[in-house]
Amino acid sequence: MLRLWPLLLGVNFSFTGDGERNGTAVGLDNYRDLLEDPLFRGALRNVGLLVLLLPIAVAIPGLLATFIYLRVPGHRLFRGVYFFPAVLSPVIVGAIFNLLLAFDGPLNAVLGGAGIGPVDWLGNPHVAMFAVVGVHIWATFGMALVVFLAGFATLDGALLDAARVDGASLPQTIWHVIVPGLSRTIQFVFVTTMIGMLTSMFGLLYIMTSGGPEGSTYLPEYYIWIQQGQMNRPALASAASTVLFMIMVVVGLLQLGLLRRSGRTE
Amino acid sequence: MSRIGWGRWLLAVPMAALALATIYPLVFTANVAMKTRREYILDRFSLASALRWENIVTAWHSVGMARYFLNSVAVVTCSVALLLLIGSMAGFALSQLRFRGSSTLFLVCLVALFVPFQVIMVPLVRMMADGGLTDTYPGLVLAYVAQFLPFTVFLMTSYYRGVPTEIVDAARIDGNTPYGVYRRIMLPMGTPALLSVGILNALFCWNDVLISLLLMPSADHRTLMVGVTSLRGQYSDDIPTFAAGVLIAAVPVLVTYLFLQRQIADGMTAGSTKG
Repeated sequence: MLRLWPLLLGVNFSFTGDGERNGTAVGLDNYRDLLEDPLFRGALRNVGLLVLLLPIAVAIPGLLATFIYLRVPGHRLFRGVYFFPAVLSPVIVGAIFNLLLAFDGPLNAVLGGAGIGPVDWLGNPHVAMFAVVGVHIWATFGMALVVFLAGFATLDGALLDAARVDGASLPQTIWHVIVPGLSRTIQFVFVTTMIGMLTSMFGLLYIMTSGGPEGSTYLPEYYIWIQQGQMNRPALASAASTVLFMIMVVVGLLQLGLLRRSGRTE
Repeated sequence: MSRIGWGRWLLAVPMAALALATIYPLVFTANVAMKTRREYILDRFSLASALRWENIVTAWHSVGMARYFLNSVAVVTCSVALLLLIGSMAGFALSQLRFRGSSTLFLVCLVALFVPFQVIMVPLVRMMADGGLTDTYPGLVLAYVAQFLPFTVFLMTSYYRGVPTEIVDAARIDGNTPYGVYRRIMLPMGTPALLSVGILNALFCWNDVLISLLLMPSADHRTLMVGVTSLRGQYSDDIPTFAAGVLIAAVPVLVTYLFLQRQIADGMTAGSTKG
C-alpha cells in the first residue's frame, strides 16, 4: 500500500498548482508547462534516443550469451567477469567513468595515440548522451546476459546439433535456430532493458553530467528530481512522473501484445 | 570438428578483450588511488610506485567517508532485517495460510512490483515530510522497506509455495500455533531464500542514491553513495583522493560479489522484472 497510494496521490497532485497556487486545481496547466519546457522536451527526445539504441543494448548481451552457450574457452570466467559491473552502484560506475572520460583523461590519451583528436565526451552536447548511455550499457549488459543464458537452458540442443550436422555457419545458426527459439527471452530482455534505461540511470546522470551540457542529458527521471528537489515544483514533478508512468505502461502493453501474438503463432 | 574448435578460439579473443574492458576501469581507479597527485599528473597509466594508503586514509578521515560508511551500514542493516522479517512472515501467510483477501494481497504486491520509484517519489517525499520523517534514519529505513518489500514478498511467497502443505498441516496437528509453525518450520526451511534475498536487498539499499538524496538533506546523514557524489565537487583537482573514496565505496560490494557470484547473478536476474 505504501507504493500504490502515493501513485494515486501523485496523479491527483499533478492537477494542482505550485507555489502561490499551492493546492488549487489548475487542470492541465502542469502538463502544458511540461510540453513548453525545452528541458522536458529534451528528456523525451532522449527517451526516443534510448529506444533507437535499445536493439544494440539487447544484441550485445545476446551475442555474448550465444558464444558462452557454445562453450567458448573460458566461458565460466567470462560469465562471472561480465556480470560484475551490474553489482556496482551507478554512482560508482559514473565516478569511475568521470575519470576515464575526462577531457584530459586516459581514453582521450589512448585515442590521441591512435591519431584521433580528443573528444569532449561529457562536455559536448551532441556526444554526452551517447557517452552516458554507453556507460549504462557497459554497466548492465551482464544482467541481460544472465537472462539470455537462462533462456538458452530451455533451448532444444538437438536443433543446434542438427544445424551443425547440416553444416550451417555460426551466423546462419544464430538467425535460423537461436533467434526463433529464444523469441520470448528476447522480448523479455527488450522490455526489462527499456525499463532499466528509464528508471535506473539517475545515478549516472547525476554524477556524470548533472543533466548538462546545455541540458542535453536530461531523462524524465532526472527532470522529476530537479523539479522536486531543486526547483521546488512538486506538482510539475508529479505531472512528469505521470508522463513517465504512461511511457512505462505503453512499454508494458507492447510486451503483452507481443506475447499474445507470438502465443497465437506458436 | 577442428573447424569449430578453431572458431571457438577465435571468438575467445574478442571476448577476452571485452572482459579486460570490463575489469580495467576498476583496476585503473584502484591504481590511481595508490598514486600521489604528482604521479597522476605526470603519467595516468603507470603503476603506482608503491602501495600507498595515504589517499585512502585521507578519504576515510578528513572527507568524512567514515561517517557516511557507518550511516550506510546502519541503515542497510536495519532495512534488510525488517525486510526479511516482514517478507518471510508475509511469504508464509500468502503461500500457506488461506485467509480472506490473500490472493488479492498477493496481486497488490505484484502490481506494486511494477510501479517504479520515480513515479511515486514526489508524493513519498511529501508523506515523509508530513510524518516528520524527512532527514531521519527511521524515515530512510521505512522508505527502503517500502521500496523493496514487494520484491521480497514476491520471492519469499514463490519460495514457500514449494513447501508441501502436508508439513504445515502436520505441524498444526501437533499443536503448533501459526506463529509456532512460522518460527519452527518456515524460518529454518526458508534460510537459503532468506540469505539470497537478504544479500540482494543489502545490495540494492547500499547502492541506492536517489532515495537517500531525496530524504536525507543534511551532510551528517549522508549515506556512502551520496557521499561519493559530494566528493566529486570537493576533490575535482585531487583525483587520487577522489579515486580512493570511490574505492572505499566499491570494495564491500566487490568482496561480496567475489564470494557469492552465483546467488547474486541469479537473484538479480529474477528481480530484474521489478521496475
